Amino acid sequence: MAIFAEDVTIDYPIYGGSHRSLRQTLFARTGGLIRQERTGRQQRTIVRALDRVSFTLQNGDRLGLIGHNGAGKSTLLKVLAGVYQPDSGAMRIEGRVSPLFNSAPGLDPDDNGYENITTCGMFLGMSRQEIKRKLPDIIAFCELGEYLDLPVRTYSNGMVARLAFAIATSIDPDILLLDEGLGGGDAAFAERAEARMKALLQRTRILVLASHSDALIKTMCNRAMLLEKGKLIAIGPVDEILNRYHHRLAHAQVA
Amino acid sequence: MKPDYAMARADIIHGILAFRIWTRLGWQEVKRRYRRTVFGPFWATLSIAMFIGGMVFIWAPLFKADVSSYLPWLSAGLVVWSFATTMITEGCGTYTAAVGLITQLNFPYTVLNFMVVWRNIIVFLHNVLIVVVVVIALHVPVSWETLLLIPGMMIVAVNGVWMTVLFGMASARFRDIPPLVGNLIQVLMFVTPIFWLATQLGGESQPIVRYNFMYHLVQVMRAPMLGTAPSQLTYAITLAGAVIGWLVTFDIYARFRRRIAFWL
Repeated sequence: MAIFAEDVTIDYPIYGGSHRSLRQTLFARTGGLIRQERTGRQQRTIVRALDRVSFTLQNGDRLGLIGHNGAGKSTLLKVLAGVYQPDSGAMRIEGRVSPLFNSAPGLDPDDNGYENITTCGMFLGMSRQEIKRKLPDIIAFCELGEYLDLPVRTYSNGMVARLAFAIATSIDPDILLLDEGLGGGDAAFAERAEARMKALLQRTRILVLASHSDALIKTMCNRAMLLEKGKLIAIGPVDEILNRYHHRLAHAQVA
Repeated sequence: MKPDYAMARADIIHGILAFRIWTRLGWQEVKRRYRRTVFGPFWATLSIAMFIGGMVFIWAPLFKADVSSYLPWLSAGLVVWSFATTMITEGCGTYTAAVGLITQLNFPYTVLNFMVVWRNIIVFLHNVLIVVVVVIALHVPVSWETLLLIPGMMIVAVNGVWMTVLFGMASARFRDIPPLVGNLIQVLMFVTPIFWLATQLGGESQPIVRYNFMYHLVQVMRAPMLGTAPSQLTYAITLAGAVIGWLVTFDIYARFRRRIAFWL
């Protein structure tokens, strides 16, 4: 399993953005570089969300993405997930990628728990057999019992989170992408969730996690990448990169 | 934008191969829509039936037609019309309705198009009951030509898939498209011989009938239901529509598929 990113660049065309709000964002400190582009009579606003980002990840790499809001962390995750294709540069990925951004894709409140396990499982890339095999484990972990026969809209928020978490963490990913940690449920559940998360990470060959939490990055990652306005500033050991990030933050505040 | 034909082809092939997903999603959606109702999916059927029942007594004399020949024409036409146009209007929302999936996952988007078409085939199979009842009640001849309904439905479905891809993309990019399509379809319903008989305006030689793609799309399924074979012209136009529609859509899909995630 490996990821090779070479000069990956992503331009976001902005549709329906007003010019007034643009003027404000032009002077913002966060976010990628915004530019206006004219094609014929049309004026388009384009945000460079990622600017020539290159890196390589191998088996065993657990990369934490660090940076401001809008630095490009989520965009990079989406490129890795294949949601966005780079405008220039190349992204080569060997292995099965499992993005867990929204922990239960395709979850429908009108369907019951069992139906949702199947639908979400399919969208997470599981075959019917795989889902059938994992069903007892998912049922046991979410502890929803007979509620699984009821429509998900009758669940409390915590119960939905449990179900979503149980489904999402049942996958066997080569490459796992996380946007902040997966959470939900009460204190007792949180403990079991942590153990289950650990087991999932053990099955994972490569992890890429975007987070604003130093603690989360420190516990889950062995490498870190600092992004700023879509540019890769540094990649290296977690502590070193976090220090750099906080140093830059302090510096920017003084200036 | 540079077209990526390999990607478009892979998307369509993987989309077809993922039939377990789209057949399931289509069913779930039908079930979901009518949960907690008594008649379930037959509500759509009932509403068409009531509409026909109410209107036949006004229009049959108005068009100086005999109820026993007008009623089968009207019911078969309306059932097919509703199949084809619901597919188109729902097709406009194919991608916008799936924001959650498209912005989170990498999967063949055509799964969504197949799902929309499949779901509408299921609904059509409910609605076709109206025609069955009318055909039996009025002794409309059932012949070998009736079996042409099956290839006819396949032709409409194949046309339906490219339409949902094309209109789905256009609607994701330009949010004016869905209301525009909705309006156009309403106008087309009166221009197309559904309520009035094609023969009254000189049949297929009349330009408004002859060059009306929607007429042929309806006719390729309506004629078999009335026990007759569609004309060669109808087959030529609907098949040409499928081929040309797919070629154009394929090219546009190859160019802009990667943009869809940004449009949402």
